[in-house]
Amino acid sequence: MALILEGLGKHFENSEEATLHEINLTIETGEFVCIVGQSGCGKSTLLNLVAGLDKPTSGKIILDGEEITGPGADRVVMFQEHGLYPWLNVIDNVKFGMKLAGIPNDVQEEKAMHYLKMVHLEEYKDYPIHQISGGMRQRTALARALTLDSKVLLMDEPFSALDKQTSNILREELQNIWQETKRTILFITHSVEEAVYLSDRIVALSPDTGKIAGLVPVTMPRPRHVYAPEFVEMRHQILEIVRGKTI
Amino acid sequence: MSIIIFVVILIAAWQFFYWLSVDMLELCKSYAVPSPIGVAERFADLLSDGSLLKATGNSLLRGIAGFAIAVIIGVIIGLLINHFNYLQKNLKPIVLGVQTLPSVCWVPFSILWFGLSTKAILFVVIMGSAFSIAISVDNAIKNILPIYTKAALTMGANKKQLYTYVIFPASLPELVSGLKQGWSFAWRALMAGEVMTTSIGLGQTLIMGRDLADINQVMLVMLVIVIVGIIIDKCIFSVIEKRLLKKRGLAA
Ligand SMILES: Nc1ncnc2c1ncn2[C@@H]1O[C@H](COP(=O)(O)OP(=O)(O)OP(=O)(O)O)[C@@H](O)[C@H]1O
Ligand SMILES: [Mg+2]
Repeated sequence: MALILEGLGKHFENSEEATLHEINLTIETGEFVCIVGQSGCGKSTLLNLVAGLDKPTSGKIILDGEEITGPGADRVVMFQEHGLYPWLNVIDNVKFGMKLAGIPNDVQEEKAMHYLKMVHLEEYKDYPIHQISGGMRQRTALARALTLDSKVLLMDEPFSALDKQTSNILREELQNIWQETKRTILFITHSVEEAVYLSDRIVALSPDTGKIAGLVPVTMPRPRHVYAPEFVEMRHQILEIVRGKTI
Repeated sequence: MSIIIFVVILIAAWQFFYWLSVDMLELCKSYAVPSPIGVAERFADLLSDGSLLKATGNSLLRGIAGFAIAVIIGVIIGLLINHFNYLQKNLKPIVLGVQTLPSVCWVPFSILWFGLSTKAILFVVIMGSAFSIAISVDNAIKNILPIYTKAALTMGANKKQLYTYVIFPASLPELVSGLKQGWSFAWRALMAGEVMTTSIGLGQTLIMGRDLADINQVMLVMLVIVIVGIIIDKCIFSVIEKRLLKKRGLAA
């Protein structure tokens, strides 16, 4: 059992055509799935539907047998902009979700420290958010998301506002964390390279029709090397799909 | 420091013009123009007989009491307007309109309803500031970055948690500026209310100065009103505001 999207569609009231059309997708527990597509193709829309922040106009989303009706801690989202609270320091931000869940303080502290270590931020735990770098902020947001043991981790271009070098380091770390914690991750990116690097499976959205243009399993062993011939080949293949050249 | 020098220069200029227009050229009568020395003398008189302190204390107490009630009412109206779409559409324009009324406009009502009493003054103060506070509360909440609430919702926040852990702290800096503005309205409304009654206060001392044709007392009371207003603004609201912004890395 896992996350199932069934005939999912979204048609915004004020737009002529549906943004998403008949999306069918099953994501298995523990799977790392990336959704790629050009800007404006509906990636964030899809993620918001799964997050429960927006409602589909057709179809449904089922998580572990239950239909999704609204946002919840079983589907934590990590956004492109970190979404951390500037009135809290690093560790209090990490504890935020646990505080909402009413988890005892000592457990909060222990878990927060555990994940802060995992993202290499334990030394910065008392820093205010505005005194840490963009990369550290995304690490903090990741630690915060991890503390909630959600069934699916939703990530909407979490590294795309960072410089290339930082974003490469973070995707490597994310991969290690994923292998260590065995989470189910639905990851959105416009970077095909990032998708090929991270995914078990890539969902390519078509640029115009709002449909899935291709579903490509990635079986290369990890860690992957972006200059390996297979990698380059796959990257090229997916780029073609994303650009709408082959169906 | 530079402001102190500037004020000293202003006072010197004031004394010079008084001397020029009243003593030298005899353009104005001395009872129509206040002088720094005259004001200082009145200040010493009213301070030594305790009446100035009493009037300032009374006014401050009334101002604070009225402001406190206005905050409660304003916050409730603001929250309701913000929360219910229907009120946002229909009540907010009315609140916005009423908020533009100068506070003296509430004086006739307050006298008819409460007579020449402290209650009447409080009524004017409340009416003069509650609506502006309501509008600031609504705006402060609207200006919260949507990602703050989105993030909280996807972490499982319920309505109550959303308000206490996200909406309240996120809007706090803007809320404090709204309260600061609300206070300045309250303080002005207070004077509008006080000049109509006979209960001891700065407004009444001001009117007494007029009745006694004591221009120096009038000037003195005006200065005290300004200074108290500045002190509360700078020593309370601005300090809190700066601290909040600094903590969030937003202070200049
Ligand atoms: N609330 C909304 N109302 C109307 N149209 C919307 C709304 N949100 C998104 N859209 C439209 O839906 C389409 C998809 O937007 P979406 O944000 O999902 O794209 P995206 O793939 O995430 O793009 P990007 O890579 O730039 O983030 C766009 O054409 C956008 O204009
Ligand atoms: Mg997007």
